Amino acid sequence: MTAAPETPEQNLEIRVDELRAQLRSLGYLDAGVDRFVLGPARDARRPVVIAALASVRIGLLAAALLGPAAAVGIGTRFPGLVTGTGDAVVVALYLAVLFGLAATAISFAASLLVARLPFAAIAQRARAVSRIAGAIVGGACLVYLTLWWRIANPDLASLSPVWTASVLVITVAISFLLGHATAITAFAVMAASRPESLPEVVRRDSLWRLTLGAGALAFAAAAALLLIAAPAPAREEPPPNLAVVSPGVRVRLIAIDGFDPAVWTALSAEGRLPALTGALDDGAIRISAPSDRDPARDWTTIATGQPPQVHGVHGLETRRVAGLQGSVTSGGQEGIARTLRGATDMLRLTRPSTASGAELRSKTLWDVAADAGLRAAVVNWWATWPAMTGGVNPPIVLSDRATLRLERGGALDGEIAPAELYERLRGDWPTITQDARGLMTTLLPASSDAKTMAALRRAAELDALQLVMGGRIRSTSLDLTALYLPGLDIVQHALFGAAGPAAPSTIEARLEGLRSYYVFLDGLLREALEPAADELVILLTQPGRITSIDHGLMAARGALAAGQGAGIGQAADVAPTVLHALGVPISRELGGAPLDGLFSAAFLKRFPVREVESYGRRAAPTELRKGQPLDQEMIERLRSLGYVR
Amino acid sequence: MLPAFFADYQQAAETELRRLVPESGDRVQQSMAYTVLAPSKRVRPVLTMLCAELCGGRRERALPAAAAVELIHASSLILDDLPSMDDAALRRGLATNHTVFGESIAILAAFALLNHAFGTVAKAYDADLASRMTVLLAEAIGPEGLIGGQAADLLATDQVIGFEMLERIHRGKTGALFVAAATCGALTAGALPDALASLNAYAKNLGLAFQIVDDLLDVAGDPTETGKAVRSDARKTTFVSFSGITGARQLARELCETADQALTPFGRRADRLRELSAFVAGRSA
Repeated sequence: MTAAPETPEQNLEIRVDELRAQLRSLGYLDAGVDRFVLGPARDARRPVVIAALASVRIGLLAAALLGPAAAVGIGTRFPGLVTGTGDAVVVALYLAVLFGLAATAISFAASLLVARLPFAAIAQRARAVSRIAGAIVGGACLVYLTLWWRIANPDLASLSPVWTASVLVITVAISFLLGHATAITAFAVMAASRPESLPEVVRRDSLWRLTLGAGALAFAAAAALLLIAAPAPAREEPPPNLAVVSPGVRVRLIAIDGFDPAVWTALSAEGRLPALTGALDDGAIRISAPSDRDPARDWTTIATGQPPQVHGVHGLETRRVAGLQGSVTSGGQEGIARTLRGATDMLRLTRPSTASGAELRSKTLWDVAADAGLRAAVVNWWATWPAMTGGVNPPIVLSDRATLRLERGGALDGEIAPAELYERLRGDWPTITQDARGLMTTLLPASSDAKTMAALRRAAELDALQLVMGGRIRSTSLDLTALYLPGLDIVQHALFGAAGPAAPSTIEARLEGLRSYYVFLDGLLREALEPAADELVILLTQPGRITSIDHGLMAARGALAAGQGAGIGQAADVAPTVLHALGVPISRELGGAPLDGLFSAAFLKRFPVREVESYGRRAAPTELRKGQPLDQEMIERLRSLGYVR
Repeated sequence: MLPAFFADYQQAAETELRRLVPESGDRVQQSMAYTVLAPSKRVRPVLTMLCAELCGGRRERALPAAAAVELIHASSLILDDLPSMDDAALRRGLATNHTVFGESIAILAAFALLNHAFGTVAKAYDADLASRMTVLLAEAIGPEGLIGGQAADLLATDQVIGFEMLERIHRGKTGALFVAAATCGALTAGALPDALASLNAYAKNLGLAFQIVDDLLDVAGDPTETGKAVRSDARKTTFVSFSGITGARQLARELCETADQALTPFGRRADRLRELSAFVAGRSA
């Protein structure tokens, strides 16, 4: 097909286009280096319009330069957030938008503010004032980027000096660029707002010298900041020696949430809880509970022996940022945090999710035991999803989402590890559920109130499922098994935390329902609480979400147990206590210590506490998961159980 | 039509030029004055003064630099018109210098004007500034400036030349002195490099636009207004040869817009320079 002949007008246009391109290549039709920032404002005369148009360009610059930089920093700061390249790109885009908007707003406000300075003396020195504005922005950018680099690279000493110097040069260049952009915008706005001549006394010094000097100074300042912000150099330490000096026992940790010691005492006196009484009557240590209860946070403190600010799980409810596999904490319950959450959820930028291992920065007691070469397993503990699959000797994990995955089927998404176990349990699922329902039917006394009975049945089925699943993985080769039972907390919350006011007769029915759940639990755990000859069974309770109860209990039965344990401990003591029982040395970094009162004198004498400097940092879960996360299902389940409002 | 404010600046330039080059005197001085004081728009000296004021300087302080630029321009006109060069008979509506005073006197007058320009700068400013301006003006005159442009122009006469060569000619013959004029003015005000860069971009684009409009006037201008015969540059390749009249107008307009864009950092204070570029884009003489 032949092209249509060109008209004279088209010919002319083509010729002019060619000449235009040639002129550009010769340096014409180019207004100079500041055209990117001030170009869009070339036809504007009003200060506010110039400020707005130029600020948008500064925002674009800041977005392009600071967004990716901040993404790397935030990825290091919140290891659970960025799980791969895709996440990093999405985070960079989000942060680019954030920084772009912020830089636009700040630049716009600063330009207008500078232009409206009322002092004649300042107005006389428009150039100097605009340069100061640029210097402030550039300086702030320099400090931010340097600190970001510092945070992103805790082990600065391991980086090559050339690499660090290159980064600093880039940092200085970015800062200069943004500072310069701000300065020219401020000056343009000032000039536009004062049409009269602005006399200016300017030195004729070679500015390149000044620029070079300022650049060198900025580089030196950034380098100094880097050094000042650096933590004290780490001492040369040998790798942590987690050599186990085994006392020859296996440990089973059974954790019951929502346990009220007063109810237990009353029922125990009536002889209705023989198993629990047997476990606790030998002497229990009081474990103080935090006043502000959050199950994910508190049980992670128990599992890691570290406070929330160290282990990183701050709350049950988190937010999954759109496009990311990772999650961030949801913030507090304050009005502003709630409003922000609501706004970002409404805009679909975030969606509710639950606490997970993505936020976890400390090793749990089963991680440490596995690191020490022991076989460990955990069932249904908070924040165990996604299960880590790497390492030489990974623990068996039936995460807090395992039941959901087994119920729904589909591709595994970190709910159970190892993956082969999922196949086995999925195949056995009908039998597992049947067994669990059988236990529930057999052990759960009937209640006169239908709603109470419904709540009891749901909780009982859940607890029974955990116990049955725990039984499926239980074997003599496991050195540590940790099992978390939420049923009592769910019942307690359903009957007294969320049900609202009720008639005395209803309250009495609910109270009796609660008591009957203790009875059910006692029956459910009867066998589990009996230790084998080489076993230590540790029963741990926490008050759950009923804030009027101020402590939990911890008791041990079997080999090594004191028999008459007593004393007071805290949640962070649980992990070191369990690890000590397994013969694992205790990290000096832990927030707690082994509770001697739980162990026999002979054990304490023969196995004194050994210490190591650190268990090391927990690796962030970075594997790409293939399955569909059960976020929504998990949220709905937790909502139905009263955990999420 | 010239911007309203222009007359004031023109007058200041005229006065200074008359002071520097009196009409009385020997034949060489008369020859110098003949060209320097011939009717002119004084675009270059006005540009110098406007740039000085834009950068916070005083017009009076910029006047010697403005005059020096115009003296150099006048010198270049005398030399351009010589028989060995363009062999022009008419300039600014008057007989060319060499036709009035003879070729040898015209050459001497041209050299005298050049030296007068450097002397004026040296006398008016401190050593540092005078030295910078001297370098700037010498470069504008030298092989990369007026002389280089004129040489390329001579070699291109009756030749088919490419667009790049045409630009090279105009950059030397017109653009170099426009840029020098703007920069000298800014330097008298102690302008900082970013202001100099903006004004450099302004003058560069304006200079080429000025030359394109000149080419247009040569083709389609009114001789009574331009002071030159129509098609006096017929033997030469011009911008019109490449783009046609419409295209040349469009490019001149775009160059002036770019020049204005370069003034953005100065805001409304640069409105007079914008008026100057608007005048250049639409001038008829």
